[in-house]
Amino acid sequence: MAESKSNGSKVTKHKLIALSSSKKQFEFSNPQEKIIKYKGEKVKVRLSEDPNGFSYIVWKNRKYMLDIIEKNQNRYTVMVNGVWHTFTIESPFSLKRKKLLEKQAGVSTSESIVSPMPGKIIDVFVEEGAEINTGEPLLILEAMKMQNEIISPIDGIIRKISIRKNDSVMKDDLLIEIDRR
Amino acid sequence: MDVKGKNFKKFLDRQQVFESQYDAKSMQKQHAKGKLTARERIDILFDEGTFEEIDAFVTPTKSDGGFGKIQQSYGDGVIIGHGQIMGRLAFSYAQDFNVMGGSLGSIHAAKISKIQDMALKMGAPIIGLIDSGGARIQEGVASLAGYAAIFYRNVQASGVIPQISVILGPAAGGAVYSPSITDFIFMANKTSYMFVTGPNVVKEVLNEDVTFDDLGGAEVHAKKSGVAQMVYEDEENTLMGVRKLISYLPANNLENPPEVDIDKKETKDIEEKLRDIAPDDPNKPYDVKDVIKLLVDKRSFYEIGELYAQNIVVGFGRIDGKVIGIIANQPKVLAGTLDINSSNKAARFIRFCDSFNIPLLTLEDVPGFLPGVDQEHDGIIRHGAKLLYAYADATVPKITVILRKSYGGAYCVMNSKNLGGDFNFAWPTAEIAVMGPEGAVAILYRKELAASKDPAGLKKELAAKYREEIANPYVADEKGFIDEVIDPATTRKKLKSAFLALENKYITNPTRKHGNIPL
Repeated sequence: MAESKSNGSKVTKHKLIALSSSKKQFEFSNPQEKIIKYKGEKVKVRLSEDPNGFSYIVWKNRKYMLDIIEKNQNRYTVMVNGVWHTFTIESPFSLKRKKLLEKQAGVSTSESIVSPMPGKIIDVFVEEGAEINTGEPLLILEAMKMQNEIISPIDGIIRKISIRKNDSVMKDDLLIEIDRR
Repeated sequence: MDVKGKNFKKFLDRQQVFESQYDAKSMQKQHAKGKLTARERIDILFDEGTFEEIDAFVTPTKSDGGFGKIQQSYGDGVIIGHGQIMGRLAFSYAQDFNVMGGSLGSIHAAKISKIQDMALKMGAPIIGLIDSGGARIQEGVASLAGYAAIFYRNVQASGVIPQISVILGPAAGGAVYSPSITDFIFMANKTSYMFVTGPNVVKEVLNEDVTFDDLGGAEVHAKKSGVAQMVYEDEENTLMGVRKLISYLPANNLENPPEVDIDKKETKDIEEKLRDIAPDDPNKPYDVKDVIKLLVDKRSFYEIGELYAQNIVVGFGRIDGKVIGIIANQPKVLAGTLDINSSNKAARFIRFCDSFNIPLLTLEDVPGFLPGVDQEHDGIIRHGAKLLYAYADATVPKITVILRKSYGGAYCVMNSKNLGGDFNFAWPTAEIAVMGPEGAVAILYRKELAASKDPAGLKKELAAKYREEIANPYVADEKGFIDEVIDPATTRKKLKSAFLALENKYITNPTRKHGNIPL
């Protein structure tokens, strides 16, 4: 639960799970108890801040520099010691639901990137067979006199690139197909 | 309960039957679909222990004997009541899919109408949690009449109290129209659907195969149709999102939005990063959300309709703890042009803010309206006019900051001075003119360009001259169309004092039944 109930006088403790993009689960509770459970092991953590405004997390007696890069709904991007990680915060039910729905839907295999508007391809950053993460740039499309970065909506592997540098494209033309990883 | 010597038997018996309606079996049914029960949803939405149910024991109308069976149950498939959301009163109804598929019978409808009437009388927000198969076929026209009564009340309450619909299951046929009248629609991804006619009818009439999700799933409505403003991955987050939205809204149109205390250290009034956000090259995009986040109190930006018409960004934020509504062109998407969808999105947001006394901040970087046959034929003229109308008609404080481009008709529309902008600021990077340099030069120097040996070079030279002499903020500043050209770093400081100066702004539009907005 991303937005915690802070004003209620009676507050029950909720178990929450941080689910990383590689499906690792870290259990904690809200309100914060500063104990994180990972693979059945309970670990005490401490958060600290230095006078320069930098935050640190202390985990197993080691200090790691920490910063929340972005928060949207229950999705967090955090930087720990210079490495980015993405997490979603789940409740036990939402985690169950996630697994249930994934099972029902099966695994969707690929994503087709189409041109959002008519324009010209200025640059292509990827090659067929390359691995790509969500949010990484695929190509630059110039349209309306502006250079627009087209980014990958999924983690995947580039299956096919249907355009080349300097091609002109129309709206909804197929640009790149990505297999989900 | 200590009831010695009192004849409470019937009271307790009823209570027991009532509670048995929410047993483990009924929970299991919903959970197996990845959905919560109506009661669990209510518990998440409201502050713990504050929800009071009313009309829990009403029973459905008896079947006339003919067609179908009506399941006898207490409550007739909907929970209504009031409670507190972050300590503030709110009303709600929650349809219970476990009772006859949450179908809307006449009593079910009467309960919803009742809570709508109460919310309007008390002047507090109403939140509908919708999970219903639609009109109850067994009850025929009586259930249709029930829908109409709900729609009527939605319209009466529009602009008086905030109305929020949360779609947590199916909403089909007439059921979609109550949410669509309300101010905001939330949907839980993958388990909620909205459509006027379902996939079966589509197949029958048009012989088209389409899945529930592709026809009216949350993603479709958030990205393509614009019907739903907020989509969350699960129900708990959806309901938490509703709580968060409520924290920005006044209880009714006579109140001001709630203020919060802020940590003054957290957001800087002078922010030098703002000087570097807009690139010098006018053809390079940037993310206007970076600007918004530096202007409003830290972590206070709450975006509405994030996935729809992304060339305009709208949402709520706070400056020094006071709520404002933000409308910003997004150079990153479609170069920030105004098109049909972005005009509609922004116009509706402005109307909401104006209804509920939320001051408006416009961040402008717009090269113009999106050209094209599609746009013209689909009526950009009449849709663009909505945005213009909404701005001009709004009586709340209105401030504009021109960050970069401001060309042509789009200049006029985006809350320009003469449209009623209270304060109009511009950054030194602003380009304000009838059209962009290339276009202007091509028209004004057509003959010279045709005769020139180096037309490209001449064009570039003339364009630079045009920027220097016409397309800059200083001409507008000297003519009073801009109140002040400001250092980007001081924007938040300027906004704070400008909004403070406008706090008691009071103007009224002429008396009339209502204006005729170009719908």
